[in-house]
Amino acid sequence: MLVNWFTDRHFFMIAVAFYGASTVYSVFLWRRGFRKDDWVNYLLLAAGVALHTVAMFKRGLTLHSCPVNNLYEATTFLLWALGLACLVYSLLPRFKFLAAFTAPVLFTVGVFALMPSLDPPHGPKPDFSDWLRSLHAATILQSYGAFGLAAVAAAMFLMQQHDLKFHKLRAVLSLLPSIQRLELITLRLTIVGLVLFTVGLVSGEQLPRPDGKPYFSDPKVIWSALMWLVYLELIVARMFFGRSTRRFTIGVVVVFIFLLLTFWGTNLLSGLHHS
Amino acid sequence: MSVVVIGLSHRTSPVELRERFAFVEAKIPDALKSLRESGVASEAVIVSTCNRVEIFAATPLETAKAFVELKKFLIGHHAFEDPINDELYTLAEPQSLYHLFKVACGLDSMVLGETEILGQLKAAYDLALKHGHTGARLNKAFQRAFHAAKNVRTHTNIQRGSVSVASVAVELAEKIFSSLGDREVLVIGAGDTSEKTARALLSRGAKSIIVANRSLDRAQALASELGGRAVSFDDWAGEFEKIDIVISSTAAPHHILDCAKLEPLMKARRQRPLLLIDIAVPRDIDPEVNSLENVYLYNVDDLQGIAADYLKLRQEETVRCEEIIAEKVKPLLETNSILPQMDTDKHRFKTLPVDV
Repeated sequence: MLVNWFTDRHFFMIAVAFYGASTVYSVFLWRRGFRKDDWVNYLLLAAGVALHTVAMFKRGLTLHSCPVNNLYEATTFLLWALGLACLVYSLLPRFKFLAAFTAPVLFTVGVFALMPSLDPPHGPKPDFSDWLRSLHAATILQSYGAFGLAAVAAAMFLMQQHDLKFHKLRAVLSLLPSIQRLELITLRLTIVGLVLFTVGLVSGEQLPRPDGKPYFSDPKVIWSALMWLVYLELIVARMFFGRSTRRFTIGVVVVFIFLLLTFWGTNLLSGLHHS
Repeated sequence: MSVVVIGLSHRTSPVELRERFAFVEAKIPDALKSLRESGVASEAVIVSTCNRVEIFAATPLETAKAFVELKKFLIGHHAFEDPINDELYTLAEPQSLYHLFKVACGLDSMVLGETEILGQLKAAYDLALKHGHTGARLNKAFQRAFHAAKNVRTHTNIQRGSVSVASVAVELAEKIFSSLGDREVLVIGAGDTSEKTARALLSRGAKSIIVANRSLDRAQALASELGGRAVSFDDWAGEFEKIDIVISSTAAPHHILDCAKLEPLMKARRQRPLLLIDIAVPRDIDPEVNSLENVYLYNVDDLQGIAADYLKLRQEETVRCEEIIAEKVKPLLETNSILPQMDTDKHRFKTLPVDV
């Protein structure tokens, strides 16, 4: 059987190829000013997410647990959450082009995740399999997905706002949502991300620590707490202190880029995540 | 029997001439009847709009003779006595059919790609159909033309975008605000374009209109027309906390709104987006305000520029539209024979006898 011959990594590799095709198509959509409202990009991304799901499912079946035991698995889980959320949000009116903004993130991070060093072999059933650990890993990674999608919506906002400010024809020609709607979606996704992140951090604190060190002495936990504070500041400043939409959305994009760039490094430094 | 067209439109004649040839809708059935009784046409449809007066006829006569008779009918019916030459055009097949399709698709309209003409053409056809003045030739031609218009609308961007200042302003508002339903509009200066823009915003669901004008009477008159309320010209800044869209068109020789004035107002509005439409010349709003956060300023040149770009895009689409039209006209030309008599509820294909 062909399906059995393919490993989960093969499926993920093909999924990344679909994300790549979607990225290329997104460039054409962008060049045409997001005027053509078709389903090609959505279907490319949907095919990628479907294969990605098969990859995750196969790995999960092998481990008999949620596949989040090493950097490769954590990254693919994060991308899967992002891709799936994108597919759902793209069904909202005028949000179809969300896929065009998400595909480059899925593709670049996906290529990075395929580096063999991120996926060292582990036993058939790692000790990372009780429900609390799964809850911790799943909520943390889903929160990254929500932050990622918030960053994508924020990027759409910034592009649309720039076009409106500088009277570009693309502002009216494009089939993107209104900037007020994009801002609302960005804010809501950031809040959802923060709630999930909080649940993830709290559940992580309940987990046994092999070296017996305090929870907040681990570099990854410190980094996570910092990220939590930064996102909280972004939300509070926007909701209660009248921070401008532009500064808020720039913040959401910058913080997510920082999160992506430092995610692997802090994982490697963390004793809790690299025992 | 071939389909011919005679008429005059915005392309060939001024409104002063078109209005003298216009048909009153109530009298069109009688006009069609007398046209058919004259033997010039066995089937006929009269299209009379503000931009065109045209007779589409299926005639058993030789085309040159048919044109002479149709011209006589048109001039005689309106008792027109002045000389008329190039203003009146005549088209025989296949150009007559291409013309019908182009009219239906809005390619012959003053505003390229507009859709109003399709409704007017349908109404003209329905009127002729209702009174039994159409038959196999015109039924098929008109129904295919309507089908082609639908096709063109679906497969091209000919109707995409706004080509007037008012509709561009509405489109911009829709790109900024999630919904126009709860937006308040402030009109400063009760000019004609600002009134049109305000009306366009109201038609898309804007919540309410506030009118400020140097003459309070004029402001009150416009406000009552638009179902809004009037405020004195000196008080318009006081309304800023509530409003989302400003349309300004005063005759003031200087800027009535600048950064110094707007900045504190924006703080009071908690930085909600504000769309400023300045259609005054000289401009009412200092262009520098566009640099303020959440302020989107468009002057008349910006709006006209967008409308012109849209029109250019529509013009680029005409080639694709003409390809679709050519494809749809082709079968009509190939089956240039009278179809068997057929009656259905919606499509009445009937070979009508000429009542001479």
